[in-house]
Amino acid sequence: MEIKLSGIILIVGNYGSGKTEVAINLAIGSRTSGKDVQIADLDLVNPYFRTREVKDLFSDLSINIVLPPDQYLNADLPILSPAVAGMLRNPQEVTLIDVGGDDAGAIVLASLADALTDKNYRMLQVVNPLRPFNDSVEGCLAMRSKIETASKMQVNGLIGNANLINETNIEMIYSGHDFLKDVSQASSLPLELITVPAHLMPEIDTARVSCPILPIKRQLVPPWEKPVPVAIKP
Amino acid sequence: MGKVLMKGNEAIGEAAIRAGCLNYFAYPITPQSEVAEYLTHRLPEEGGVFLQGESEVAVSYMIFGAAAAGARVFTTSSSPGISLMSEGISYIASAQCPAVFVNIMRGGPGLGGILPSQADYLQATKGIGHGDFRMLVMAPASVQEAVEMTMAAFPLAEKYRNPVMILGDGLIGQMMEPVDFPEHLKTPPSNKNAWATNGMDTRQSEARNLVKSLYLDPEQLNQHNLMLKAKYEQMEAEEVKAEAYNVDKDYKILIVSYGTMSRVCKTAIMQLKQEGLEIGLIRPQTLFPFPGEMVLQAATKDSCQAVVSIEMSMGQLVEDVERYVKGQRPVSWFGKCGGEVPTPEEIIDHIKAML
Repeated sequence: MEIKLSGIILIVGNYGSGKTEVAINLAIGSRTSGKDVQIADLDLVNPYFRTREVKDLFSDLSINIVLPPDQYLNADLPILSPAVAGMLRNPQEVTLIDVGGDDAGAIVLASLADALTDKNYRMLQVVNPLRPFNDSVEGCLAMRSKIETASKMQVNGLIGNANLINETNIEMIYSGHDFLKDVSQASSLPLELITVPAHLMPEIDTARVSCPILPIKRQLVPPWEKPVPVAIKP
Repeated sequence: MGKVLMKGNEAIGEAAIRAGCLNYFAYPITPQSEVAEYLTHRLPEEGGVFLQGESEVAVSYMIFGAAAAGARVFTTSSSPGISLMSEGISYIASAQCPAVFVNIMRGGPGLGGILPSQADYLQATKGIGHGDFRMLVMAPASVQEAVEMTMAAFPLAEKYRNPVMILGDGLIGQMMEPVDFPEHLKTPPSNKNAWATNGMDTRQSEARNLVKSLYLDPEQLNQHNLMLKAKYEQMEAEEVKAEAYNVDKDYKILIVSYGTMSRVCKTAIMQLKQEGLEIGLIRPQTLFPFPGEMVLQAATKDSCQAVVSIEMSMGQLVEDVERYVKGQRPVSWFGKCGGEVPTPEEIIDHIKAML
C-alpha cells in the first residue's frame, strides 16, 4: 500500500515517540517520489536530536527546511520563526510540521491557528508503544485529548512507530501494529501508516499489516554512529 | 517487563524509584529537565514527593534535611546548578548523610551552552565544595548503565554515609536507548537507624543520633577529618570499576576515556582494527575512586608506546592518567569542550598522528 499523505501534515505525539525521525523520513520519502516538500522544525521543547541535524542532507535533496536563525539554533529558547506561518499560507505539495512533544510541545500550534484557517490539514499522532506512557490505549487517548486541548486542533490520524532503535525486531513491529489497531478502534482515528527500519523491510509480511509502511532510514544518531545513507538523485 | 525505549533522563528517574527513592527535590535546567518532567508523572503514582526548590542552593539543603531524617533522596541538575549545590554537598559529606546527586553536564564555564560536555570532571572528583572531602563518582556510558549506576548509588551512599554522584554528559541525559530494569538490582533496605534523626520508635538502643557538621575543637575536627579520609581510602580499596577494551591485543596506543566519549573511541578503535592497527581502551566507570592501577598496568604493557586521554574537557581526566602512569609512558590529551563531540574520524586522525 502506498502512503497517500499530501498537503499540510502536522506531526504530534508523546515526548520521545519518534516524531522528528518520522517527519524526516516522510519528507525524504515524499521528495524521492518526486513531490515538492517543505518541513518546519517547530519543536520548542527538545534540546538535542532535532530536525536541524539534517539541514545539509535536506539541502542536497532540495527539501525546504525552516529553522530558527543559525545564531539561535542552540539557544534553548522557544523561537517560532515567522517563516512557519508563511509556509502554511503557501503550502507545497507536502508541508510537514514537526511539532514538539506532549501537550507542552503542541501549545505552539494554537498560535498558528490564523495561518491554518480554511486550510486542509492532517494532524497525526505518533505512537511508540515501547515508550513509557505510550504502552496503553488509555495513555494514547489521554495524550490525544491533551494535545487537542493545547493546540485547539483535532488529531485526525495515527502513525505507528513501534521501535527500540537498534534492537527493533519484526515481532515488535507486528505487535506494535496490532496495538495501534486497538488505539485506532478505540479512538475512531485511522491508522495512516506504520514505520519499519529500512533494513527489516525484506522480512516484513505485508499481508500481516493493514496500512501503508514507511521505511525508516535513521538520521538522528549519536556521534559514534552514522546516519543510514540516503540516495541523492541529481 | 521487557525492554522499553527511554531517554537517559527518564531512565535515571525510573531507576531512582526502583531503588526505593521516593523523595526528589530539584530545579529544572537543560539538558536534565526531563528527570523532573518524568518524575512529575511517576512519583505521585508511587506515593512519592517531588518538590521544586526556589534555587539549587535551596535544593541542596532540602536534600540534606531529608537525608538527615533517614529518607532515601536524590536530585538532578546540570553544571551551573551543581556549582550552586556544592555548598550543601559539603555539609552533607561532613554530616555523613547519604544522598545521590546526578550531574548531566553541559558546556562551560559560566552559563556556557546546553550541548554535551565533560567539563565538570575535576569539580566532581576532587571534592566538589569547600572543605576537604570526596564523593563517590560514577560515569555511565549508556542509558542502561545510567540505570544500573543510579540503582547502585543509593546503597553505596548508605554504605559510606556519603554523597554519591552520577556524572553524565548531556548525551547520557538526552539520547534514547532500549533499557530494562533488572530485578536483581533491587536495593537493600536503608541502614538509617544507625545514624538518622528519624525518631526513637524503631531503635534498638537508647543512644540519640546527631547530625552535624560543626566542630569547634580543632583536635575533634582533625579526628573527624581523619575518619572521613579513612572512608575515602576504603572506597579506593573496594569500589573501583573500569572497563578494559581490546587490551588483550598488542596495542601501540592506549586510550583512556569515559562516558559517551568512550563510545566514539570504540567506533574509532573498530575502524583502526580494520586497517590493522590495534588500540587499547580503559574506560573508568568510577571516576572517584579512579582505576589508576588498571590504567598503569595497561599503559606499561610492552607493546604500548603512549597514552592519550580523550575527553570532552580541556585536559582534566588527563591529570589523573598522568598521576598513575607516573612518567613511564608519554601521556597526552585530545578533546573538545564546547558542545561538539569529537568524531571517530578526528580520533583516528589524532591516533595516526601520534604514531
